[in-house]
Amino acid sequence: MKQFGKILKFELKGYLRNKIFVGITVFLVVAIAIVMFIPNIIAAFETDGDVEGDVNAAYLPTMLIFAEDDTLSSTVKEYFGSAFSDHNVQVAVGSIEDVKEAIISGDAECAFVMNSASSYTYYVNNLSMYDINTEIANTVLQEIYRISAMIQHGITPEQAGEIIAVQIESNTETLGKDQIQNFFYTYIMIFALYMVILLYGQMVATNVATEKSSRAMELLITSAKPTSMMFGKVLASCIAGFSQLVLVFGTAILLYNVNRNALSNPLIASVFDIPLELFIYLIIFFILGFLIYAFMFGAIGSTASKLEDINTSVMPITFLFIIAFMVVMFSMSSGSVDNTAMLVCSYIPFTSPMAMFTRICMSTVAWYEIAVSIAILIGATVGIGVLSAKIYRVGVLLYGTPPKLGAILKTVFKRQ
Amino acid sequence: MILELKSIDKSFGKKQVLKGVSFTAEGGKAFGLLGRNGAGKTTSIRILMNVFPADSGEVLIDGKPIDYGKIGIGYLPEERGLYPKKLIIDQLVYFAELKGMNGKDAVRSVDYWLGRLGMSEYRNKRLDTLSKGNQQKIQLITALAHDPRIVILDEPFSGLDPVNAMLLKDVVKEQISMGKIVLFSSHQMSYIEEFCDSIAIINAGRVALSGDLHDIKRNYVRDKLVVFSAMPEQIKADLGEACTWREDGSLLIHLAAPDEKQSMMKRLVQSYDIDEIKVFEPSLNDIFVEYAGAQV
Repeated sequence: MKQFGKILKFELKGYLRNKIFVGITVFLVVAIAIVMFIPNIIAAFETDGDVEGDVNAAYLPTMLIFAEDDTLSSTVKEYFGSAFSDHNVQVAVGSIEDVKEAIISGDAECAFVMNSASSYTYYVNNLSMYDINTEIANTVLQEIYRISAMIQHGITPEQAGEIIAVQIESNTETLGKDQIQNFFYTYIMIFALYMVILLYGQMVATNVATEKSSRAMELLITSAKPTSMMFGKVLASCIAGFSQLVLVFGTAILLYNVNRNALSNPLIASVFDIPLELFIYLIIFFILGFLIYAFMFGAIGSTASKLEDINTSVMPITFLFIIAFMVVMFSMSSGSVDNTAMLVCSYIPFTSPMAMFTRICMSTVAWYEIAVSIAILIGATVGIGVLSAKIYRVGVLLYGTPPKLGAILKTVFKRQ
Repeated sequence: MILELKSIDKSFGKKQVLKGVSFTAEGGKAFGLLGRNGAGKTTSIRILMNVFPADSGEVLIDGKPIDYGKIGIGYLPEERGLYPKKLIIDQLVYFAELKGMNGKDAVRSVDYWLGRLGMSEYRNKRLDTLSKGNQQKIQLITALAHDPRIVILDEPFSGLDPVNAMLLKDVVKEQISMGKIVLFSSHQMSYIEEFCDSIAIINAGRVALSGDLHDIKRNYVRDKLVVFSAMPEQIKADLGEACTWREDGSLLIHLAAPDEKQSMMKRLVQSYDIDEIKVFEPSLNDIFVEYAGAQV
């Protein structure tokens, strides 16, 4: 236990003295600070907003409307003008060829060539992934069509307008979890977990492999118990990683509260207003998930004899982790976080940190399910920790080609 | 204090590396573990250090199984290696602490040894900024700083210049005089011969020869004479095959049997101009070549 403390202290000092580690942390904190202040900075420049608004109108992209029938083109222009407020809508003169020419030369961004009141061709140079102009146009044209049809049937334009503009009042009462509200912070937390585990896992593996390749190992294993070594190293990386996260997210939360008025976006608000209960689960799953992977990365690091071998050696673990991440991400975006894959994953220790946390956030999970999942995870983490210490002990003295997993396990169990 | 290895067997896979290795080392004396490359020296030391267990056999201190928690062992591994990117003081204190010292004592002891080995100016430097010989001295401190009862030095002199070798000799002598067990492993016979009271020669996983170095030399078959003469060519021509040149220009005469010594001496003194005749005392090098070289 005394040794463990010494090792933990030494390893932590290593992280704090690591210029890259400190540099990344500072960079992240500064980046977060800048992002949090952006709305205020923009607001500071927007004091003369009205004047700039007029000037900007000239720079709006041009949208051309073309129709053989002048009445049709002017009607469409009128409606589109208000529907596409981010475009400068103009009626085109000349032929269809002139319209195409204007788009290709860049004079206009896009054009609607009306064949009739209910049929058109949309011309655009490069079709953006996010181009929703046709959808807006369809809605607007339908509206025009319906209003004119209603007028033809003897309804006054005012009445027709009212019918079209009818508003439905709706109210949603969420009895379980609000997936929309919880989606973003779940997403951010899962992503943070993913990044931190891969990053620090690699760090632990590299750390162990460096000791092995610099031959400091022989002295270490004759001085300290392998379990102390392994737990000391892994916990040091956990503390380092966690304090880095606390620093980054702490800065974010602090600055969010400072800039609360400017950051009125409900999406951002949903991220920061994470309920305390979920926050506690987050920390539990985060620490356990981190530890279980860090132990595996450490064990793998001890079997590699050169630093170059690390990348190939850690591949199976990385894949396992990426698969877990994918399952969770797909389930999250499909909205069915309680599907069979997720149910299974939320009890398997390697996937449960992400899967169970997602289910807790986005669905209703009974307390005993959470308890069982956490219990399995704790048991597995301790088991993997002890096993990895044994692998470490065996692995560090093997030089040459990385031994096969089976061979290592055989040696580990033979020793007992 | 007596350290004893008793019939140690060790196999790696199908290859048996150690076959019943036994030897005994005493406190206040230096012990030399000799052997050719791959003979099993480092494996024996690693078993002694509990890096891995023996398949069978025991390691005993004063007749009882060794308790690694109580007995401090200082180890200078042949594969030198510390943390190249870390400060020297940090890692030395770390290793001393791992061996059970508290923080203050560790710093004091490390500073003493840095001063003793003339390395104080490098205290706050990174290890990889040092030359190889100086790195070796730093490594030596990891073996000595925690004041262990058993000191194991694997090739301690390799890479040291004569001045540093002298410094190390003094340190080793001091450790021996403090009653510690000092265990050497080396190929440099002259150093072993200078320090070690007893030796074990390991050859292909077996102890080919072990015991007190003086006894070994005395028991060596006395069937060769070293002759310094003013007319060596004449002697060489007369004795033919039984006479060979030595590097220093003297002659080595091989006797048919040890008891021919007197008669041969008489014959030489009567027939030739002789400066000096003595019975050939083998050097450790000769003994090593004979026991470790021939039987592979």
